[in-house]
Amino acid sequence: MARYIAKRLVYMMLVFFLLTFILFVLYHMMPANRAYTDARAEIQTMKRLSEEEKATKFDELYLKYQRLYGTDTDNNLILYLRWLGLYPFYDGHYSGIFQGNFGFSYEYNLPVVDVVPTHMRNSFLIGIITEIAVLGITIPLGIKCAVKKNSRFDRFTQFFTLIGFSTPSFIIYIVFIVFFCSILHWFPVSGMKTPGANYTGWREVLDVLHHVTLPTICLTFGSLASITRITRASMIDALNLDCIRTARAKGLTEKAVIYSHAWRNALVPMVSIIVGGFFGTIQGAMILETMFGFKGMGLLFLSAMRTADYDMIMFLEVIYTFIGLFSNLVTDLCYGLVDPRVRISK
Amino acid sequence: MEKKRENVFRKVARWLVRGLLGTQFEEKWFYRKNKENQDEDQKDKAPDDSELIVSPGRQVFNRFLERKFAVFSVFVVLAMFAIVFIVPNFMPKYYDAFTETTQKDLPPTLDFMNVPGELNGHIKMIDSYSSFTVGLSDEGKVYVWGIGAIGATGINVKNIPEEVRNAKIAFVAAGQDHIIAIGEDGKFYGWGSNRFGQYAVDDVILANPNLEPVPDAVLNGELDVNHIKRVTAGFQATAILMDDGTLYIWGNKQAYANLDRFIGRTDIVDVDFTLNYVVGLNDKQTSVYTGTKGLYSSVRTKIGGGKGEKMSAFLDGRKITEVRAASTSVAILLDDGSIALTGDFQSDVVEVPDLEDGEQFVDIEAGTYHYTGLTNKGHVYSFGGDHYYQAEAPQVAGAAKVYAGAFQSYAVDANGKLLNKWGLKGYLFGTDDRGANIAERVIAGGRITMTVGAVAVIIEIILGVSIGLAAGFAGGWVDMLLMRIAEVFSSIPLYPFMLILNSLLSQVSMSTDERLYMIMVILGFLGWPGFAYITRAQVLVARESEYVTAAQAMGVKSSRIAFKHILPNIVSVILVNMTLSFAASMQTETSLSFLGFGVNYPQPSWGNMLSRASNATAAINFWWQWVFTSAILIMTTVCINTIGDTLRDVMDPKSSNDK
Repeated sequence: MARYIAKRLVYMMLVFFLLTFILFVLYHMMPANRAYTDARAEIQTMKRLSEEEKATKFDELYLKYQRLYGTDTDNNLILYLRWLGLYPFYDGHYSGIFQGNFGFSYEYNLPVVDVVPTHMRNSFLIGIITEIAVLGITIPLGIKCAVKKNSRFDRFTQFFTLIGFSTPSFIIYIVFIVFFCSILHWFPVSGMKTPGANYTGWREVLDVLHHVTLPTICLTFGSLASITRITRASMIDALNLDCIRTARAKGLTEKAVIYSHAWRNALVPMVSIIVGGFFGTIQGAMILETMFGFKGMGLLFLSAMRTADYDMIMFLEVIYTFIGLFSNLVTDLCYGLVDPRVRISK
Repeated sequence: MEKKRENVFRKVARWLVRGLLGTQFEEKWFYRKNKENQDEDQKDKAPDDSELIVSPGRQVFNRFLERKFAVFSVFVVLAMFAIVFIVPNFMPKYYDAFTETTQKDLPPTLDFMNVPGELNGHIKMIDSYSSFTVGLSDEGKVYVWGIGAIGATGINVKNIPEEVRNAKIAFVAAGQDHIIAIGEDGKFYGWGSNRFGQYAVDDVILANPNLEPVPDAVLNGELDVNHIKRVTAGFQATAILMDDGTLYIWGNKQAYANLDRFIGRTDIVDVDFTLNYVVGLNDKQTSVYTGTKGLYSSVRTKIGGGKGEKMSAFLDGRKITEVRAASTSVAILLDDGSIALTGDFQSDVVEVPDLEDGEQFVDIEAGTYHYTGLTNKGHVYSFGGDHYYQAEAPQVAGAAKVYAGAFQSYAVDANGKLLNKWGLKGYLFGTDDRGANIAERVIAGGRITMTVGAVAVIIEIILGVSIGLAAGFAGGWVDMLLMRIAEVFSSIPLYPFMLILNSLLSQVSMSTDERLYMIMVILGFLGWPGFAYITRAQVLVARESEYVTAAQAMGVKSSRIAFKHILPNIVSVILVNMTLSFAASMQTETSLSFLGFGVNYPQPSWGNMLSRASNATAAINFWWQWVFTSAILIMTTVCINTIGDTLRDVMDPKSSNDK
């Protein structure tokens, strides 16, 4: 087992470096030159120089800034290694991810590591509540549909999950916003707290709750349909297994058959969805957060994208890639937990 | 008994008849001939076993036909494809970047030209400027039709004030968002939006130097109705012209920069509003007066008449009798019954007609882009801008008066009876925030969204299936390598990656079409691993099967085995995933376009057409801008997913056993 995990970890690191390298190179194709802009800005402040002096001085400054930012080469590999902190800068010092330097956000005027945690916490909180609510609703619903396959209840649920599954999530959010905000006026449309009102203590908590409730409901609703359908499908497959017939023939109660025998089997295909869902909470829901102005990871990424906040995007990409790969690993390990056959074959 | 075996077409036709007309027609048309001996057959013979054996393909097809909703979905999807790919060829006037300021945010309606029945036969005058039309009857009653609601302000010009209903009205005029009326006793009325002092005066309006308030003489009802020559309204301004040349004009001076020049004039013979200028005719009647030198000074007789001549040379002693202004052009009627044009025209126009000998124009009216003229023989001609087919006048005889406004024209006979009307009827799905017809954009956008989905899936299949086949069939290190590559691709976070690529691409200057291809290719390149996994798994199963072993034993080449023996057996699985993937790609495209990182304006897509609805106020006030588009999008994806689900069900032998 330990050997398997070690092997996977090594492989994961390889893929991680490959992906981040691709993203890094892609990103360096963008025509943004910080050294150039900074040098330009500094030369503007020197008014006494003549044009010729300015030109020579500019070249000097440009080189200085390039060396400072580590962009004094066109070799992408060197740039990437400098970014990681494995290749020295011009003056010989190392400053990269391995040294704890994730970059500086020019939009927030703060190191990116200081900006990201609050957003990540917001996304994670709303995501985890949603995930629990979604699983709490969909798993019993899916099981019930599978057990009473083709009943009226099943058909009814199937109809609605088909519609929900086919609807892009943002349309669901629009409908909810129109209904709850514009018609019923129950919830505010966007933001995290009432602007201008500096509540403290209990009032603050209630205020935040008031703002966060609708996004949570929307997010929950957006993922109900697909997970119900997957639960139902895997449960139907599980109920068709021979072991279920044997269990029934043994005279086990229907409850024991469904929840202990069938559910255990149905869980196997669901593992990746459940695990992926939990890790997905950290990544944030981009569309939802944009629509509600909810300060989470998705909104952070989108606004960084719009303002070309280079270091921020790169850092978020690293997080996204890492989470994606890590969740793959955890999924595979969970397969082993759920399915003894997988454990044996390793 | 030879119970006729149904062929596919017959079965589909029969199903259609049953669905559309009912079972009695189905029996009548399809079972009439063998109905008599059917009963005997059943008594006499047990069913023949050989009849029950059908090929697997036929069996799947038959079972698919049993699912009514699935068959219905197939027709819906085919119809959607047909509509979005064929109908754009019949929309010659549509283009992506069309905008029309006066037609912004209009709700769905088709009654722009529904003249009220009570008014017909008693029409005294009709006027319109934007989305609503005001009519006046001989008895002095005012009628308003079209769209009365002014944007999201809550003002509705269809709510005619009580005092106007009770009064006898002599003149009406409609502006962009207001209506004014003058009673027989000279009393002045106005309703609609008053944000720019269109009809009433208060302290805020008086304090604003950019607004010219309503003159006191008008407000106090001191005008002699019998001497009013013309009442007309423009964007946010209004003018009343007396027959002694006195002009009362007021409204928004920012919309009409030369309004100042007309205040207090007493030498005006005619007046009208273009989009940015007040145009008048002074009592010399030799030029279009704007108070701005060089504007509307060169005249031509045809729209495509080149640069035109200088006004004085052109007139050559003739006098101008009438001036009518569209948005950017002015038509003048001369005292010899001919017309001439000055100003700019759009590209989509109908040319000025050539009249017969002895036929002369006696009147001319202007809409937003078109003109309608009346001749002394009672014929009616339209020319000018034709985007809404408003310049294609029907044959009319015996017209005594024409009215034109916005995008409509009305021809009325001497008794006040409506002879004909032509122009813009309205919008089935309303208009968007740029004034474009949503129904047209839904069709054009569907073409893009469905093309993106389809091409992305085709790329996914080509890549995924060939890689999956190679991996599954070759095995060993090739399999290992390809699957690792697939894993790398499937662990790329889709949305962040798409956004980065898109913003990269936006730095590169590329045409909208090239951008569209890039989106398809990116979606395809990120989606193939799913197909590769499925294909590989199926190949691994098929490779162990006996017929492949047999083929190998016979020495068939492995590439031939892969494509001739294994591929046909996995087509069904690919088909199912293709359908589901198609719907998923469409959803991804719409979500990306909604966020502003997919298809961009002016190209329409079902995603970017919905982006306005992310604003809660717009979503409720302009509900038609997202409801129709999302309904069609959801309907299409529901149908595609239904087809995929049903295919999976009917192809799965396990699911049939427990039925």
